[in-house]
Amino acid sequence: MIFLTLEHILTHISFSVVSIVIIIHFLTLLVNEFVGLYDSSEKGMLTTFLCLTGLLITRWIYSGHLPISDLYESLIFLSWIFSIIHMVPYFKKHKNYLSTITAPSTFFTQGFATWGLLTDMHQSKILVPALQSQWLIMHVSMMVSGYAALLCGSLLSAALLVITFRKVIRIFGKNKNLLNDSFPVDEIQYMMEKSNILRNTFFPSSRNYYKFQLIQQLDHWGFRILSIGFLFLTIGILSGAVWANEAWGSYWNWDPKETWAFITWTIFTIYFHTRTNKNLEGLNSAIVASIGFLIIWICYFGVNLLGIGLHSYGSFTLISN
Amino acid sequence: MEILNPTKPLNPSLFNTHFLKPLPLLNSKTIKLKPQVHTLNNSKRSKLSLTIITCSKLNTSKEIKNKDKNVSKKILLSNSAPPVASEESDGGGGSDGEKVPVKAGSGALGFLKRLPRRVLTVLSNLPLAIGEMFTIGVLMALGTIIDQGEAPEYYFQKFPEENPVLGFFTWKWVLTLGFDHMYSSPVFLGMLALLGTSLMACTYTTQIPLAKVARRWNYLHSADSIRKQEFSDNLPRASVQDLGVILMGAGYEVFLKGPSLYAFKGLAGRFSPIGVHLAMLLIMAGATLTATGSFRGSVTVPQGLNFVVGDVLGPSGFLSTPTEAFNTEVHVNRFYMDYYDGGDIKQFHTDLSLFDLNGKEVMRKTISVNDPLRYGGITMYQTDWSISALQVRKDDEGPFNLAMAPLKVSGDNKLYGTFLPVGDVNSPDVKGISMLARDLQSIVLYDQEGKFVGVRRPNSKLPIDIDGMKIVIEDAIGSSGLELKTDPGVPIVYAGFGALMLTTCMSYLSHSQVWALQDGTAVTVGGKTNRAKGEFQDEINRLLDKVPEIVESSLSKQSDVASG
Repeated sequence: MIFLTLEHILTHISFSVVSIVIIIHFLTLLVNEFVGLYDSSEKGMLTTFLCLTGLLITRWIYSGHLPISDLYESLIFLSWIFSIIHMVPYFKKHKNYLSTITAPSTFFTQGFATWGLLTDMHQSKILVPALQSQWLIMHVSMMVSGYAALLCGSLLSAALLVITFRKVIRIFGKNKNLLNDSFPVDEIQYMMEKSNILRNTFFPSSRNYYKFQLIQQLDHWGFRILSIGFLFLTIGILSGAVWANEAWGSYWNWDPKETWAFITWTIFTIYFHTRTNKNLEGLNSAIVASIGFLIIWICYFGVNLLGIGLHSYGSFTLISN
Repeated sequence: MEILNPTKPLNPSLFNTHFLKPLPLLNSKTIKLKPQVHTLNNSKRSKLSLTIITCSKLNTSKEIKNKDKNVSKKILLSNSAPPVASEESDGGGGSDGEKVPVKAGSGALGFLKRLPRRVLTVLSNLPLAIGEMFTIGVLMALGTIIDQGEAPEYYFQKFPEENPVLGFFTWKWVLTLGFDHMYSSPVFLGMLALLGTSLMACTYTTQIPLAKVARRWNYLHSADSIRKQEFSDNLPRASVQDLGVILMGAGYEVFLKGPSLYAFKGLAGRFSPIGVHLAMLLIMAGATLTATGSFRGSVTVPQGLNFVVGDVLGPSGFLSTPTEAFNTEVHVNRFYMDYYDGGDIKQFHTDLSLFDLNGKEVMRKTISVNDPLRYGGITMYQTDWSISALQVRKDDEGPFNLAMAPLKVSGDNKLYGTFLPVGDVNSPDVKGISMLARDLQSIVLYDQEGKFVGVRRPNSKLPIDIDGMKIVIEDAIGSSGLELKTDPGVPIVYAGFGALMLTTCMSYLSHSQVWALQDGTAVTVGGKTNRAKGEFQDEINRLLDKVPEIVESSLSKQSDVASG
């Protein structure tokens, strides 16, 4: 009971802190002067991270197995990974745009896990026989980390697309004022200012140059984080295959979840291959990565919701035929 | 600066060990890149069209493209030198550039010789490979949307001709293209095979030559070509030796010759894509062996009974050959389950004994889910269970073995039942006691009228009184559902998995190269990297900050070293 209460408290603290962080983020977007606020938002994310860590550990002690055995737990784990990704650049004193992606991502996954799902899903369940393996930790943690990093990277790519697309609009449609009033342009300005701080150098204040710089940065960071995500995804899929060879009788069963993970893998393989062609690097690969975003969600969520195949642990039985 | 001095006398000798013959400049644009530019547009257009059309359309667009590609490729293809040599060297160090003499291809014979190369060129085409991957992705997605392995009638109903999905997709498509068994359909397997050949072709014609080029380290002899790099900087008063030491400290391999410096690190990052491709090929080869050379089978054995391995296993392909171990006889000593406190099933266990032809026990193991038995290439998995019989004692008679029938098998909850007739067995409306069980833990009993009487655990020896009869449930006998297989492909696939993990990790490394040239007292530094571009710039900036500035007194000495 004490564990349940503790878990409850931690869930709510982490969610409230993340909400506050989001609000601070929006404030700093609108009013650029609040440098102190930005710092406090970083501290907020640290708090969220600690709360989520506490939550996971509590659940671990209380249920006796690693808390990544069902959808709710994996969502909490996902937002925990998001907060880690958020923290890494902060500790390296290396600010980049990732924080604008990871903070809302944490917010949404956390919010969805706490509110969106039925409350009875929150109850920690027993492990079905097939899940009782050392591979569970390796496979699921790698997969979820992979999803988190890939989601971040594909969101960066989507941001790149949005910015490029806006630029095109601005060139053709001359109504600058209208666009300047709209929100995303503020964001762009904000991010550009950040890039200015980051570079620590003086550039001629040409708007287009900043935009070019920003797109380059987005492209680069998107590529780097997608590489990490792809690495995790590969290890996750392969460890899953080895596990399946221990538990289900074959290393590959064409189970829907498995298949969609492979589709995700294929999509990001395509992403890396489009990048090898120098002339089409930025835009095409960004389109592919944005498609990848949808596919990750189908893989992570859609297949679970449909409850088909061997991976649907809500209704999992031992029968594999 | 003074602190750094002691290392200086070391430098020449250190660098001398690295002295190798200078190699021609090859960091130049290749002709190959050009045709790809406009071909990707083609494939992008066809991607938007529908799936089934995609595969054919992509191929045709590749044919067309192949034609105009060969125009530019012809000269390259006709000479038999490896593709590395076909790369042109550009202005930077023109004097070092090697030109391979172009032999004139001779007529029909030349064409025949060119043909395999031409096929290779088509296959190694990047947009083609991307198209193949995309098609495979779409086919796999279709395979999860269309229910697999159903009877044809199912598809007649699901995809009726009167009301086609998307306006054209009917059961005819499904059954003709074999989409009812997608992952073994000729379309899917063909695409995989095509991708495999593309992988091989690309590795052979593009990747290996590129890596060969990358392995050859080379100096840049003009400040201009150094300034042309992605990153470049000019240090007004510095020595290239100091830079070398600092780069070495940062983990670079440094080569120095006269005023020129070349340094690189993370060469593994350049080679790893080849490794990834080879690992993929290894996995594909292993999977092919699995598909053609394995045996599979499943069996449900009641506790206490035997089966022979060879009777259960059925071959899956033409390479499947039985082994000696197929004569092994398996005896199920015991099947039992573990339960959680709440009554849910925790784990299934089967105690198996293996006997060879002479009846000698060769192995004994208790298997469970996640812990299979392996013997002589055969793997036995615990995958299923059922209840086969109840041992019941009635009024101290018996025990009787009552066979259990499955009442509900689908889904999460299984239900088994049996019936103990009471009175005249031959009468038309025989009545009796019903016994139901969800697992081996507890048996629910109902009397002749169908009313609930009570629950008993097997082994409890506790009698239950039903209409004056004393019933004791002695034991519940389970059957173990076993899955057996032999799979000669697993070691190869696992080797591929290992290689793929390793090379994917290595792919995160970036191959960074730094060139520098001493020009009087100034050093021009340039560099490039293939992946971590942002980090590389920061790193080089940080390293360049560390390069000591040279004061006048040591300057003359420095330039002596540099020139001599």
